[in-house]
Amino acid sequence: MTPPTALTVIRNRAAIAEELRRLLPRMEGFRTAKTLSFGLSAIDRYLPLGGLACGALHEVVPDDRATPSALGFIAAFLARLPRTHPLLFVIPAYGLRHYGRPHGHGLSALGLDPRRLIMVETAHRRETLWAMEEALRSGAPAAVAGVIDKLDLKTSQRLQLAATDAGLPLFLLRPAEILESSAAATRWRVGTAPATRDRFGLITRSRWRLLLERCRNGRAGEWMVEYDHVAHRFSLAAALADPAYPRGAGEKSVRQAC
Amino acid sequence: MLAITAAGGPRIAALNEAAEAAGLMLGEPLADARAKASHVQVRAVDAAADDTALRRLALWATRYTPTASPLDEENGADGFFLDIEGAAHLFGGEEKLLADLSFRLERNFGLPARLAVADTPGAAWALSRFHAAPSPVLPSGQEAAALAPLPIEALRLLPKTCTTLRRLGLKSVGALLDKPRAPFAARFPAELLWRIDQALGRIDEPLVPIVAPPVYHTLRYLLDPIITQEAVVALASRLLNTLVHVLTRDDVGARALRLSLYRVDGAVETVDIALTLPTRNVAHVIRMIDLKLEALAATQDAGFGFEAIGLAVTRAETILARQNELIAENAGDADRTERCAVLIDTLRQRLGPYSVRRFEPIASHLPERAEVRLPVTGEAPASWPEPEQKTRPLLLLPRAEPTEVMALIPDGPPRRFRWRGVTYEVVGSEGPERIASEWWRQHDGHRSPEPTRDYYLVEDADGRRFWLYREGLYERETASARWFVHGLFA
Repeated sequence: MTPPTALTVIRNRAAIAEELRRLLPRMEGFRTAKTLSFGLSAIDRYLPLGGLACGALHEVVPDDRATPSALGFIAAFLARLPRTHPLLFVIPAYGLRHYGRPHGHGLSALGLDPRRLIMVETAHRRETLWAMEEALRSGAPAAVAGVIDKLDLKTSQRLQLAATDAGLPLFLLRPAEILESSAAATRWRVGTAPATRDRFGLITRSRWRLLLERCRNGRAGEWMVEYDHVAHRFSLAAALADPAYPRGAGEKSVRQAC
Repeated sequence: MLAITAAGGPRIAALNEAAEAAGLMLGEPLADARAKASHVQVRAVDAAADDTALRRLALWATRYTPTASPLDEENGADGFFLDIEGAAHLFGGEEKLLADLSFRLERNFGLPARLAVADTPGAAWALSRFHAAPSPVLPSGQEAAALAPLPIEALRLLPKTCTTLRRLGLKSVGALLDKPRAPFAARFPAELLWRIDQALGRIDEPLVPIVAPPVYHTLRYLLDPIITQEAVVALASRLLNTLVHVLTRDDVGARALRLSLYRVDGAVETVDIALTLPTRNVAHVIRMIDLKLEALAATQDAGFGFEAIGLAVTRAETILARQNELIAENAGDADRTERCAVLIDTLRQRLGPYSVRRFEPIASHLPERAEVRLPVTGEAPASWPEPEQKTRPLLLLPRAEPTEVMALIPDGPPRRFRWRGVTYEVVGSEGPERIASEWWRQHDGHRSPEPTRDYYLVEDADGRRFWLYREGLYERETASARWFVHGLFA
């Protein structure tokens, strides 16, 4: 047997890495390779299996005073799910502390039909966690989303397990101030960005700065995305080439923003 | 006085004594009645409520005999037949029974009653209405003699037939009974002879006995009182298992249940369970009871234990038959719908009845009034208006918050504003969208109408989007406009 040359070692390493990348998600419990794609290869490439895992916990963290954008990102993603089953949204009874309550017509404007939403209002965190876990275990809704003020590692493991068992996605909006480590499959940081405007200067699409901070078996990344509420489609913002935008928002490039 | 809408305007359908004393008559047009007695109070007839009340009364009357039959529309719908054959001796004879019935109706319900006993329903009907004595008891075989002096209306004929007979000079039943039958059969509807035969007992008149609505209730007395929640739940599950058979037989499911726990010292604790869809699923209902007991554990006290436990279905509804196995994917959907109902029940049981909600649109221009959050029910939600070319924020503040705004011109868009201690530079704005107050809502004349609002969608340098409004039209409604932040966009 001839000793392997340097070239074959490198080739083998690449093949092994590729094989590991394929195998690891399965070992992590993503038995069903069901994923929710962004429909945007630029983002999907960074995620294991080419999309957000269906049975997993996904954290969404707002950037500085960007809670509305973070909620909008969740709503946009929920709107992309097939319309066969209801969506469950667990929020505290007082709403999102400083940001009021989700507005049905506003959700409708983002392309999420409010009739699909079942709002569950809870009095405190323990109830919120219980309601989310119960909803996941029932396997009835298409997805569960929740707003929570604090999440520790143990609870996140519990939620992640419930989501994996049920094969349903759980989106959790948590504040940026207290970030403990968690068992979530991904963590997204959503920041604000100047909206896409048409040539009359009117806002046509919402735009968010997405930062994939943590991604198990995937890579971190950063994008400027815009969301088309009619087609329910994400697209990369043409950040640098929008002459119509009056104040040159494009110049503030993605790199600079982070 | 009650009025009913009839051909040619509303007519009197029922009167009380005071109205009768004023000279009003049944069937009179309402306009005439008003002319006679201007102070008369009129209400519309509620036939459904009348029917329900009559059925309840007939059910009560089953204390005398199992065969109680409320009068149908043809018979006037204002009383009931009781078949007291073989039951009268229990009350000491027919007269005593009548006296007892009359007394109880007066005492329990405040109803003056006209009663009669006869061999045939027709004769009893006629006597109760037209006989001079208050409670006549007609001996067997004397129907013809007893009915003869009564007016022909006593035969339960159609008003048209009565009018024709009266025109022919046949005013009493006796006048009809003497005549040969053939000419009547030729000239009148079959109803005439048929009713005569029924009254005289020549043909049978079947009564439709009222059937009591089924009661789904079980009760178990215990030798030893139980205290623990597990024991209560286990027993409730056994009670429910016995109920399920009855529910299955009647093809209904439980929408609401009540668990009654009778404490040793006499107090009764009740636990009410409401369900989104009718169900016969024991495990599901037991889970609900378990959750509810858990939630109540802090406030309720078992004391020395419970000595009896009752479980009743307080609301039963038909379960729509499903064809489960026919089409596989549809069955999966139905299963998931059911699981969704189960989930909603579970959440509601633990978090409270108003915790599970759904958006419901309301036709209003004011954003804070444009929707409500209603508790989820089994029904499908209403359609949602299509998103128009209107901008609406994702998050609406519970109360619009005042803000300091700097604008170039008093009725122009904002350039800079300060909200919650932070100053935002506005780089782009859209608007205004003018939303006027809803003038039809101002009930009291004192309050001046709410000022008009001009809404702007503004964006700051970082891309945060706000929904601001200026209250009051400049120089028309107000001298110095106030600004508010009302919502936040995604």
